[in-house]
Formats: sequence, structure tokens, C-alpha cells
Amino acid sequence: MKNLALIIFGIFLSLQGFSQRTADTIISNNPQKLKVKVLYFHITHRCNTCFSIEANVRKTLNDYFKSKIDSGIIDLYILDCELPENKEIANKYEAFGATLALTTYADKKELKTEDLTNWAFQKIHSSEVFISELKTKIETLLK
Amino acid sequence: MKNLLETLIVFFALTFMFGCNCDNSCKNTTTQSGNVTIEKKDSSRSPSNKDSVSTNSNEKNKINNNSKTDLPVVLVYNFHVTNRCPTCIAIEKATTKTLNTYFSAELKQGRIKRKILNVDDEANNKISEKYQAFGSGLFVTRVYKGKEITADLTGDGFKFAKNKEGRFMEILKNKISEYLK
Repeated sequence: MKNLALIIFGIFLSLQGFSQRTADTIISNNPQKLKVKVLYFHITHRCNTCFSIEANVRKTLNDYFKSKIDSGIIDLYILDCELPENKEIANKYEAFGATLALTTYADKKELKTEDLTNWAFQKIHSSEVFISELKTKIETLLK
Repeated sequence: MKNLLETLIVFFALTFMFGCNCDNSCKNTTTQSGNVTIEKKDSSRSPSNKDSVSTNSNEKNKINNNSKTDLPVVLVYNFHVTNRCPTCIAIEKATTKTLNTYFSAELKQGRIKRKILNVDDEANNKISEKYQAFGSGLFVTRVYKGKEITADLTGDGFKFAKNKEGRFMEILKNKISEYLK
């Protein structure tokens, strides 16, 4: 019986370690056509606000820019900035915690990056406002 | 059967203990002078309105009194929910460190007032609404001659406080220094 208890306890601890890990998302369909790269970085152990920002970024893109994603005009990167494999890109964007950024491209060249982190944390408490304003920001960059 | 029952009890107890990686304690701290100290309180037992600027007339008078000396007063407010994430805790710790490292004199003089407020505590409803703080938040407010301007540093906190504490402290230090002028 003691062994059973130890096994259950062991499984439980293992599950705890992985419970908050989410896989990175990279959607990049056609680098030749890329105009706007949407990047959201997060740490491994995330809070509800951080999850909510990701969900609303995804919803904005799915609801209003699905064709642009499919054709490669918009890329989406959701990355854990604490993973070693993401260290380089996290350093580039100074993403040491939750960070939302939009980077514009033309002819495969990176033009400029807008850091929307402060804006995201200010607006996330209203999904409607967040989605509407993010939609406008992306539309402006696509012009 | 008894052993099985004991095992299950231990399992559920451990599940409850480790089920949340958050600090469940409710910290409502008001610092008027000297170094910032953190006191732990059970939110359900905390005296209502003790830490609310908007509803505490003594606090309002103190802020107004300072404005009579013709010097701005800076309010530094950390908001959090009851179940806190590591970044939220890091923001509070880095804020405390910034104040103690660079502004201990201003804290003693009452020119900086720092509060740590649980938005889940009903006593803080009014101030949470004023700042539109529904979760973790860091706000720095300059009060001068009856006028208030507020900087929302929540995003900077989430971006830097946990893994680049020095960078976050620099941002906060600069904002407080600017608002003290």
C-alpha cells in the first residue's frame, strides 16, 4: 500500500511539473509575402491575464485575419521566453516576461517593431476593446 | 481499507497544497514612513477600508497636507488577486526593493505612499475601480495641488520584473523620480 501511495505521489508531482507548460505556436506560411509578424511571449508559469492576452490575440487573428494568416501575409509566434531554444528571439525583443509585439516586413526585410505590452495589460480586461483596437493596429500596419 | 483511506487523505492534502503555485496569502500593506515592510494578513480578517485611499478620509487629508507644502506626493500602488502568479509576486518584491534602495528618505517624509492591495477584497473595490485594476497592476500617481496624473507600469512589470529585475527597477525609479519633481 505504501508503494501505491508513493507511485501516486510521484505521478502527481510529475503532472504538476508539466501542468502549466504549453507548446509554442509558430505559424509562418509564406515568408515571401510576410507583412506583419505578431509575437506574444510568455513565461513558463503563467497567470490568467497572460492566458487571456494570448486567447484574445488568437481570436483577433482567427476572426478577422484568417485569410491573411493562411496566405502568409501575417505570421503568428506564441513563445515561452524562458525556454532555451527561444532565448535568442526573446533577447532580440527584450521579452523577459509577457510581451506582445508587432513587427512589420517588406520584401522579406524587417522594418520596425511596435511593443504593445503596456497597451495589452491595460486593455485586456475588456475583450471587446482589446480585439477591436488590436484589429485596427494590424490593419494600419497592413496598409 | 484503512491504509487506502489514509493514502487518499494524504494524496488530496498534497493536491491541495501543491495545486496552486501561487501565494494564497492576502497582503494588504500600507506604508507611510521608513522602509517598506510586508505584513501578511488574512484578507477575510483585514479591517475594511484600512488601505483604501478613496474611502479613507485620514489618508486623503495626509495627501492633501503634503500638497500644502508645495511638493508633489507620489502614490505607488501594487494591485493583485488572491491567487498570485510568480510575476505578480516578483513585481511586488521589485517595487519594494526599488523603494527601499532609492527612496527611503521620501518614504520617511511621507512624499511617497505605497500600498499593496488585493482586488478580491471588497474593501478595495472603490480604489480598484478608480485604477481599473481587475488583476495584477502597478500604478504610480503624482498628486500635486489637487491634480493627479497616473502612469500604468503593469506591462513593464510583466515584461521585466521576474527575469530582468534591474531593468524593471530602473523604469520604476525613473518614473517615481520624475513624479517627485
